[in-house]
Amino acid sequence: MDPILLGAIVAMATILVLFSGVSVALGLLIVSTGFLLIFDGLRSLELIPEILFGKLDNFALLSIPMFIIMGSSIASTRAGADLYEALERWLTRVPGGLVISNLGACALFAAMSGSSPATCAAIGKMGIPEMRKRGYPDGVAAGSIAAGGTLGILIPPSVTMIVYGIATETSIGRLFLAGVIPGLLLVLLFMIWSLYSTWQSGDKQLLTAGNYSWKEKFEILPRVLPFLAIIIGVLYAMYGGIATPSETAAVGALLCLLIAMLIYKLWNPKDLWVVLRDSTKESVMIMFIIAAAGVFSYMLSSLFITQAIAEWIGTLDVNRWVLMAFVMLFLLVAGFFLPPVAVILMAAPILLPIITTAGFDPIWFAVVLTINMEIGLISPPVGLNLYVINGIAPDISLKTILKGSLPFVACMVIAIILLCFFPGLATWLPDAIMGEAV
Amino acid sequence: MAGQSSAVASRTGNNPFLRAVAALSTLAGWCSAAMIVAAVAITCQMIFVRFVMNESTVWQTEAVIYLAIGATLIGLPYVQRLRGHVNVDLIPLSLSKTARYYMYLLTMGLSIVIVAIVLFYGYEHWHLAYERNWKSDTVWGVRLWIPYLSIPIGFGLFLLQLIADLIAVLLKIDAPFGLEDV
Amino acid sequence: TELRLSHQWSNKDIRHQVAQIVADEVAAADVDLEIKIFGSKSLFKPREQYRPLSRGQLDMTVLPLSYAGGQQPAFNLTLMPGLVKNHDHAARLSNSPYMDALEEKMADDDVMVLVHGYLAGGFVGKDGCITKPEDVDGLQTRAAGKAFEQMLAGANASITSMASSEIYNAMQTGILNAANTSSSSFVSYRIYEQAACYTPATEDVALWFMYQPLLMNKTTFEGLTEDQQAALRAAAEKAEAFYLEEAKKQDAASVEVFEKAGVEIAEMTPEDFEAWRALAQETSYKLFVEEVPDGQDLLDKALAVE
Ligand code: NA
Ligand code: NA
Repeated sequence: MDPILLGAIVAMATILVLFSGVSVALGLLIVSTGFLLIFDGLRSLELIPEILFGKLDNFALLSIPMFIIMGSSIASTRAGADLYEALERWLTRVPGGLVISNLGACALFAAMSGSSPATCAAIGKMGIPEMRKRGYPDGVAAGSIAAGGTLGILIPPSVTMIVYGIATETSIGRLFLAGVIPGLLLVLLFMIWSLYSTWQSGDKQLLTAGNYSWKEKFEILPRVLPFLAIIIGVLYAMYGGIATPSETAAVGALLCLLIAMLIYKLWNPKDLWVVLRDSTKESVMIMFIIAAAGVFSYMLSSLFITQAIAEWIGTLDVNRWVLMAFVMLFLLVAGFFLPPVAVILMAAPILLPIITTAGFDPIWFAVVLTINMEIGLISPPVGLNLYVINGIAPDISLKTILKGSLPFVACMVIAIILLCFFPGLATWLPDAIMGEAV
Repeated sequence: MAGQSSAVASRTGNNPFLRAVAALSTLAGWCSAAMIVAAVAITCQMIFVRFVMNESTVWQTEAVIYLAIGATLIGLPYVQRLRGHVNVDLIPLSLSKTARYYMYLLTMGLSIVIVAIVLFYGYEHWHLAYERNWKSDTVWGVRLWIPYLSIPIGFGLFLLQLIADLIAVLLKIDAPFGLEDV
Repeated sequence: TELRLSHQWSNKDIRHQVAQIVADEVAAADVDLEIKIFGSKSLFKPREQYRPLSRGQLDMTVLPLSYAGGQQPAFNLTLMPGLVKNHDHAARLSNSPYMDALEEKMADDDVMVLVHGYLAGGFVGKDGCITKPEDVDGLQTRAAGKAFEQMLAGANASITSMASSEIYNAMQTGILNAANTSSSSFVSYRIYEQAACYTPATEDVALWFMYQPLLMNKTTFEGLTEDQQAALRAAAEKAEAFYLEEAKKQDAASVEVFEKAGVEIAEMTPEDFEAWRALAQETSYKLFVEEVPDGQDLLDKALAVE
């Protein structure tokens, strides 16, 4: 059979199976096994356990559970609330200050957590009730946290960057650095929008709410120190010659656990277990998808589909930006339905050769891809951050959350367009710190 | 809404089999979490030995990798019990209650078959490594049957938890896809 | 008939070219035989190729044989410090009783060699040159291969293991002071940007040689028609000649790249080489003989090749 046609059949079957309610990882295994059985025969099934094991046989993957532990240990203390409160006391005079504090807190928290749902949960637990109490519309409160939480995978450390780095053999340290400026850019865009929308609403109360003395402002500063200690500690370990980026995750996890236990008195074994349980749950879920996606890409490669599609797109005579637009659209649609890790693992082997042949920088592409995936996190039907918000504030309807986060999606699209015009936004920092790309 | 059907664990009712499987899965979850913690500790130890003492770190990287793999595979049943494996239930949501029930039987049946296949070949793979005494090609030279053991154990317990979940729905203790009545 | 060949290299790599020659020659022979190449790890991860090959799930591969050292400890001899002196010596080793003994072991796994070939490599130092054992004392070193790790540990180096793709960053941030791998890997990972000194393989002495043959599943080969087998053999012969010539050029090419990047080029003298070899005899050779039941016999056979 023609590999392209076969590829189309595989795509249809995959969509059908994945929408059937079976878990993403098992769905990928079911589709792969089915096609391998039909086209390669029984002998290829013997390989499945080896491939599953082999995909996980990678030191860099270990940083995934660790960066998740960092986030969830801090998230189960009042550290998130402290951070958020400190920002609020200082930004109280700014119109829409509360939304801006929340976004700032999300950005800072993202610098400690590799995962978006964790970032969303840590800041949202305090931020959403507080914003609603102060009279911000439900949509703005929920939308800003949902969107701010997505920064977790753009601002380093980032689980998706690790997965991308492994799938494409790109330096993870470089990828992390590439996310910094676009992450700040996105925060800036989010803040501009918040300012504008608050100003436009004309609600005086939102402008003046909360008035803090200088004493109160300085009083809270020491409570932000643990955050700074963690962030600086991790950065120093990573870029100061102590550990490789994957090893640094362990330092971060240990620092966060220690700070959670010593400073925030997270002694109780029961509370500690909650941290470990949540981290285990999220990492096992992600790692199983990684392993299953490995079998899926083995199937695609074994049936020559990957190679045929790459060749076929190579023969298309289109402008490279048209090509990029199609790639972005494809990723966007995939992101609506699938978690970022699954999209990256399934798409990277096919897309990367196309992207590099068309002259795009793989580091730049990682950043654009990540922002694209962030949109998927706050879009139905599968938006991990939406579930988190739903868990924190069950009385806000999905429709309201979506409406509130839509303007932030627009900000992400603007960020992608800006990155297309100014690729240096992504590539300048890694080049400046680590030298020209390898 | 589709997806991670909240943080609720699968229900067991008073069924002794379901409770026993749930207990096994929870035990597996503890092991998995312990392995992740051990991996964190060993990685920190490795950085210390290399950076502070400037000595060789021969076994740590490998140990940490195998712990992470073990944590993932052995954690599978526990995450299944917590309904932590992300899914997209667009089709079940659009179905009537009866059709959804049969859809669940179909997808669960397929899941059980696939996990059984991995378990079968995973056991064979482990057995081969044990019989032929395969080792990793490093100075440490780990006997590979030890890390490979996580495949049959993890998928074996995973299979049990999936069967338990199916039985819970058949006995009407739990709802298909955890969807009550949307 | 369609055969599947898997390897880990890019399509510019010499090892891909070897596979491509065999595929092209066989296609040109018009014996109803097609070789489909899955390069750049697109099918299997590098270290996961030998097992499928031995079970017939994969037909052919090009890989460092020492990757399978965990299953056949005897294969560790194919990455032993100082066992191979230069490329011509390597070619003589490939046609010796030593190689026959190794091929017997491969036959036990239902694997056979189509194309023999060795590639050489050297050392890089972040701050200074590494030519003799004393030079690695106290350095954090990343070595390619178990036997080299044992030897370097014997020279009091601190061994750290990491993927070859991490060498660049690790040297840059100072985690790593020295590394040892193949000439082509040094170039493809652009290690010359981070090294102060490079000790390449030369025509006279090189410490680091790795046997990287093109292998095939034996049963699959025997299942082919006589014409097909003959075509494969003829293609393999042509590829082997190419492999040897190109392997020699790789070392010189790597020196050129490092020189151009302003890296100091150091030379290992015959005395240095002997010092390394004496050290290896005490460490990696000794451990090899202890681990492998017929290890001494194999080692003697290898050392007997002039
Ligand atoms: Na982050
Ligand atoms: Na989505």
